Amino acid sequence: MHGQCGLFFRTYAGEAQLFPGRFLKISMLLFFAALCLAPWAMNKYLVSILCLINISVIGAVSLNLLTGSCGQISLGHGAFFGVGAYSAAYLANLGLPFLLVLPGAGAITALTGMVFGLPSLRLKGIYLAIATLAAQLILEYVFLHWDAVTGGSGGMALDPPSIFGFAFDSDLKMFYLTLAVAVLCVLAVRNVMRTRLGRAFVAIRDYHLSAEIVGVDLFAYKLRAFGLSSFLAGVGGALWGSYTMYITPEQFGIGLSVSYLAMIIIGGLGSVIGGVFGAVFITILPELLNFIAQHAGAAFTDLSGALLAMKEGVFGLVLVLFLIFEPEGLANRWRLVKSYWKLYPFAH
Amino acid sequence: MKRLAKLLTLALAWTLAVPGVVRAEESVNIGLLSDLSGPTSAVGVPYSEGIKDAAKYLNENGGIAGKPLKLIEVDYAYNAQQALSAYKRFTSQDKIVALQGWGTQDTEALTKFVGKDQIPTLSASYSAHLTDPAKAPYNFFVAADYSTQIRGALKYFKANWKEARAPKVAFVYPDHPYGLVPIPAAKDYAKELGFEIVGDETVALGAMDAMAQMLRLQKLAPDYVWIGGTTPSAAVIMKDAQKLGFKTTFFCNIWGVDESLFKLAGDAANGTYSLQTAVVYGQKVPGMAVIEKLTNGAPKMTHYIRGFASMLVMAEGLKIAAAKGPLTGPAIKDALETLRDYNPMGLTPPISYFPNDHRPNMSVIIYKVDAGKMVEVVTETLERKPEWLGK
Repeated sequence: MHGQCGLFFRTYAGEAQLFPGRFLKISMLLFFAALCLAPWAMNKYLVSILCLINISVIGAVSLNLLTGSCGQISLGHGAFFGVGAYSAAYLANLGLPFLLVLPGAGAITALTGMVFGLPSLRLKGIYLAIATLAAQLILEYVFLHWDAVTGGSGGMALDPPSIFGFAFDSDLKMFYLTLAVAVLCVLAVRNVMRTRLGRAFVAIRDYHLSAEIVGVDLFAYKLRAFGLSSFLAGVGGALWGSYTMYITPEQFGIGLSVSYLAMIIIGGLGSVIGGVFGAVFITILPELLNFIAQHAGAAFTDLSGALLAMKEGVFGLVLVLFLIFEPEGLANRWRLVKSYWKLYPFAH
Repeated sequence: MKRLAKLLTLALAWTLAVPGVVRAEESVNIGLLSDLSGPTSAVGVPYSEGIKDAAKYLNENGGIAGKPLKLIEVDYAYNAQQALSAYKRFTSQDKIVALQGWGTQDTEALTKFVGKDQIPTLSASYSAHLTDPAKAPYNFFVAADYSTQIRGALKYFKANWKEARAPKVAFVYPDHPYGLVPIPAAKDYAKELGFEIVGDETVALGAMDAMAQMLRLQKLAPDYVWIGGTTPSAAVIMKDAQKLGFKTTFFCNIWGVDESLFKLAGDAANGTYSLQTAVVYGQKVPGMAVIEKLTNGAPKMTHYIRGFASMLVMAEGLKIAAAKGPLTGPAIKDALETLRDYNPMGLTPPISYFPNDHRPNMSVIIYKVDAGKMVEVVTETLERKPEWLGK
C-alpha cells in the first residue's frame, strides 16, 4: 500500500458499512465506553437528563425517518408517542413481561400510525400536515375518553419495567435500558436507510413522480414509513411511560409533536445523526437556561421571577437563530467541523 | 456535538453539585415548581409569589427550628418532562425535604416518584383522587378538592331553593382532565339532592366563542350552570350568555373566577358564584395584616393567598417534625397527618390530615361577584363522608 489518504472503497458493500475506518470504530467504542461509565460519576439529576435524552433520541430519529427521509410531514408524532405509552401501560397491567410489552406497544402504535398514514396517498405537504394534526387531536380525545383502557382524565400508573426479575427501578438502571433501546433504534434506522426501503423513502421525498417511474409503489412505501416511524415512536413512548410511571393525556399534546419537529429541524432533516443531535440539544437547552436563570437570579434577586420566565422566550430565540444561521441543522455543522479537522492545517 | 454536550453536562454537574452540598447543611430546602411562562402562568405567577412571600415571612420569624427555609424555584412551563427533570434536580442536588408543586401536569406525573422517594408534596392540583393516601401517600393540598367544592355549592343552592319544582342544573366544562374530573361526583350529588340535570356542554379552555353552546343551554332553561374552566373561558361563556339574554345563575370553580375576571367579563360576571377555599385580599383575618405588609398594600389574587396558606401548612408540618427529630420525608408526612383543625392565620378554613384521609377539610367559601368585587356569601361545610374519599 502506498500511503492512502482518506477512505478508499473498492466495493459497494465497503462503502455502505456503518462505521468505515478504524478511527471511527475506535472513537465510537471510546464514546460508548465513556457514555456507559459517565453516570457513575453523575448525580440522579444528570442521569435523569441522560434518560430523557435517550428517549427523545428515539422519538426524534423515528420522526426524522418519516419527515426528514420520506418527506411525509407529521404533526401527530406526540400522540403516536402517547399511543406507545398507553399501550405499554395497558399491556403491562395485563401482566405481560416487559420484553413483550415493548415490541407490543411498538406494534400497536405502528398499526395506529399506518391508519393515520392512509391519507398520505392523496395528501402532500401542508395538507398532510393538517391530516396528521387531526390524528393528534383524535388520539388525544381517545386518551381522554376511552376510560376503560386509558383511565381517562385520571391517567394510568405503571410499574418500573423488569426483565427476568431484574427491576429497572432507579435512574441509573433506566439509563442503561433506555440507552440500549435508543442504540438499537438508531442502528435500525441507519440500516433501513442503506437498504432498498430507505432509498425508496428518499426517492419519494425528492420527487414522487420520478420515484413511481423507477418502480417505487408510493402508497406501500409511504405506509411503511408511517408504520416504521410509529413503531419506533411507540417504543419510545413505552419507555417514557415506564420511566415516569404515571401517564396522563396532557403529556402527549401538540406541544410534544412540535418539540419533536423542532428537534429534527435543528438537528438536520433526513440525517440520522441529526435526529440524535437535535434530541440532545432540545433536551439540554431548557435545563441550561434554567441553570443560567437560577444563577443570574441569585445575583439579581428582584429579577429572579422575570429571569426564570424569560427562559421560554430565550428558547424560542435560540430556535430562530438556529434556523437563520444553521438552516441545514447541527448535522451539517458536525460535517463541516469534521472536514475542517480532517484537512487541518492545510484547509483551502 | 454529543461529546460537547457530554462535556457541558459534566461541567454543569460540577458547578451544580458543589454549592448544592454546602447549601444542604444550613437550611431547610424546599423545591418549588412553578409555571411562570406556560399556559397556566396567569394564575401560576401569583400562586408562586404567595409561596415565596410566606417563606420570607417564616424566615423573618425564626424559620424552622432556627434553620431558614430555602425555596429553590424552577419554572417548568407546564411541561411534564421539565417538571420531571426539575424534580430530579431537587432530590439529588438540592436535597429537598418537601416539594411545593403546581398543576395537574406536574403533580400527576410526579405522584409515583414522590411516593417512592418519600417527598411530601403540597400542590395546587385539587383532584380528589390525590386525597386518597392509598393511591398518593405523599400528596397533600390545602383546599377542598374539586368535587367537594361543587358539592358544597349544590348543597347551598338546594338549601336556598324556594320554588316547589326541582331546581335544574347544567354543566359546562372543557374536554380536558381538569374539567372532566369532578363531573361524575357533581352529577351523583346533584341527583341525590333532587336537582334535575338538564344538560352538558363543552367549552374549550381557549375558546373564543360559546354562542352555540349557550343557545342550546338557553332552551333547556337551567336555574344553575356550572362553569368548570379557567377565567378566559368563563368570561367568554358569561359574555355570550349576556348577549343572548340568557338569564341563569352561574357558579364557577376555583380557577374560573378570580380578580382578573372582572376585567375580562365586565358586568356579565355580576351575580356569578365563585367557589374558593381561601379568603380574598383585604378580608379581615389575622393573616391579612402580614400579607398587606409583605405586598405593600397592593392587592393580589386569591391564588396568592392560597399559595401563602400552602406554605404555612407545610411549615407547620416541618416544625412539628423538626421538634421530634431529623427532618425526613416520612417524618414530615407523619407530622402533617397529625394536624387537627390547624388554622393558617385565618387564610383558609381549618386544616386536618389523617393517615388514611388527606382531605384537608370539607369547606368551600362561596363568594358572589358584585360590581367588580368578590363578596363572601357563606362558608359551606360538608360532612367528611368516607365514601367520598378520592371521588
